[in-house]
Amino acid sequence: MTGAVAAVEIDGVTKRFGEVVAVDNVDLAIDDGEFFALLGPSGCGKTTTLRMIAGLDLPTEGSLRIFGEEVGMAPPDLRPVNTVFQAYALFPHMTVRQNIEFGLRMRRVKDPELSQRVAEATGMVRLSGMEDRRPDQLSGGQQQRVALARALVNQPKVLLLDEPLGALDLKLRQEMQQELKALQRSVGITFVFVTHDQEEALAMSERIGVMSEGRLLQVGTPREIYERPASRFVADFIGRTNLLDASVEPAGEVRLANGARIEAETSLPAGSEVSVSLRPERARLQPRGTAAAEGSSLDGQVRDITYLGHAVVYEVAVGEMSVEVRVEGETGQPFAPGDDVTISWDHGAAAVVAD
Amino acid sequence: MSGNVETGLGPRTRRLLAGWAWVVFAFLYVPIAVLVVFSFNASSRVNIWGGFSFQWYGEALNNEVITSAIRVSLIVAAVSTAVSVVLGTAVALALDRYRFKGRRALDGTIYLPIVIPDITMAVMLLVFFAEAFKLIDTFGPRFTLGISTIALSHIAFNISFVCVVVRARLDQFDRTLEEAARDLYATGWQTFRRVTLPLIMPGIAAGGLLALTLSLDDVVISAFVAGPGSTTLPVYVFSSIRRGVTPELNAISTLMLTASITLVLGALALQRRRASASQQTQVL
Repeated sequence: MTGAVAAVEIDGVTKRFGEVVAVDNVDLAIDDGEFFALLGPSGCGKTTTLRMIAGLDLPTEGSLRIFGEEVGMAPPDLRPVNTVFQAYALFPHMTVRQNIEFGLRMRRVKDPELSQRVAEATGMVRLSGMEDRRPDQLSGGQQQRVALARALVNQPKVLLLDEPLGALDLKLRQEMQQELKALQRSVGITFVFVTHDQEEALAMSERIGVMSEGRLLQVGTPREIYERPASRFVADFIGRTNLLDASVEPAGEVRLANGARIEAETSLPAGSEVSVSLRPERARLQPRGTAAAEGSSLDGQVRDITYLGHAVVYEVAVGEMSVEVRVEGETGQPFAPGDDVTISWDHGAAAVVAD
Repeated sequence: MSGNVETGLGPRTRRLLAGWAWVVFAFLYVPIAVLVVFSFNASSRVNIWGGFSFQWYGEALNNEVITSAIRVSLIVAAVSTAVSVVLGTAVALALDRYRFKGRRALDGTIYLPIVIPDITMAVMLLVFFAEAFKLIDTFGPRFTLGISTIALSHIAFNISFVCVVVRARLDQFDRTLEEAARDLYATGWQTFRRVTLPLIMPGIAAGGLLALTLSLDDVVISAFVAGPGSTTLPVYVFSSIRRGVTPELNAISTLMLTASITLVLGALALQRRRASASQQTQVL
């Protein structure tokens, strides 16, 4: 990271399609060399944001800079970015080589530089020897590599990836996750990728921007997003969590809807209606009355048990609420439905989020 | 699995239906076979076989009226195909890509020449040319019916056919391919030239072959808008048949049949390539 100039700087960008607001006043700076994920459910505006960086959609309002240069209204062919499309969008009437050299030819790069760069890119994605095939003669994973090579061969300043792994099956997807990460590290180009898969975003990116309904809700490292979600939506969307209705008490304490007081840090003012996000794997389960003095606890009764092999998930009734507790690598005696238990967690394990 | 389980037909019904299919087939193709066979007849009597000969082909091609008609037909077919392919493709692109005033009206009426009867179209065009000539005459130059009016008329109906075929192709076109080209530094024109055009080319070519065939086959419209000394081959055949069928006409008809079949087979081959190309895009 140079830190000086952001690779991509989005400033108050709004995109409207007629009456529909697809992207709503988004501010975002993506650093040079960063692997950045735009994460959100479908229709949240993440793809539209990516398309505005590419120049395939133009912002209705706001400014967009790439390495300091204003490009908000520039056509896509004049932007130093390239895109890996969701379904790859390989040209079906061209061979692998013709696909890969398309961008260079448009920029009038001539041999020997042309063939050298095409060979480099082809080797980088391990497609050497397949240059003369047509896209329909390749597997999904190979097509994906062609799409990557076709974009990277142009040495863009920013590479945009729209759900790059969405069309692959699970095993291939996990392989490609590692490969993409390694590739990004070796080329050092800023990667911005769009995904609706939170695990993918957590596993691959250095920072994540979570979007919902056109708004950018939170930007942070995977750890920050997971451990310290800024809102109920983020806590719920990333991973599994228990969201317990609560309110902030004057002394900085938090009181759950059932009256129990728990320890939790919050900067929200007293009287705020909040939620407490408790990750199932951060909670412990003990027989009633044996809870440690440290941290917070809730008494409840086991209602349902799901055995997953590497973990057991208990559904515990706490008054009107239902709390999920995930016990990994279970030791000792398991609980049975109807057992009286105490759920406890360490100080700082639960996050208070605004509604 | 035997067929009768699937269709619920007994073996007798099946044999009956198969036999009937052959009767229909014969009904369609025996006249054509007779025509072709008698075009090689050495006798000058149309209905009496007098041995094999290429005589009538020779006589037909030595007949100046016939060769002139063939020339007119070929020129009209070439010109009307070339013009209607360009205009028809342009209209198809406009209707597919853009929302503009009157688009819906144009979308509904562009296909009209396909459905209205030839005779109506012929009368329409004749009246139109008469009025147009009256108007042009007031400015000086004098125009008459002839090869140019035939070509214009053929363009008028061929545009619709080309447009229909090209639009079918555009319907299956994946627009993200154009976005990918733009993203890879192609300008709008380069994108059209390198990506859009090659991918819709099978549709354009199929439309062109269809236009060529229709132009070569047309009788009614050409007969109305033709002028003295500019007859197309089908119009010549139609007018001379009133004086009786000659072996010469058999020979010409066989030539036209061969040309049409070749063109239709070409169009079919292109359609098939188009079908497999659309399967490709589905896999992608």
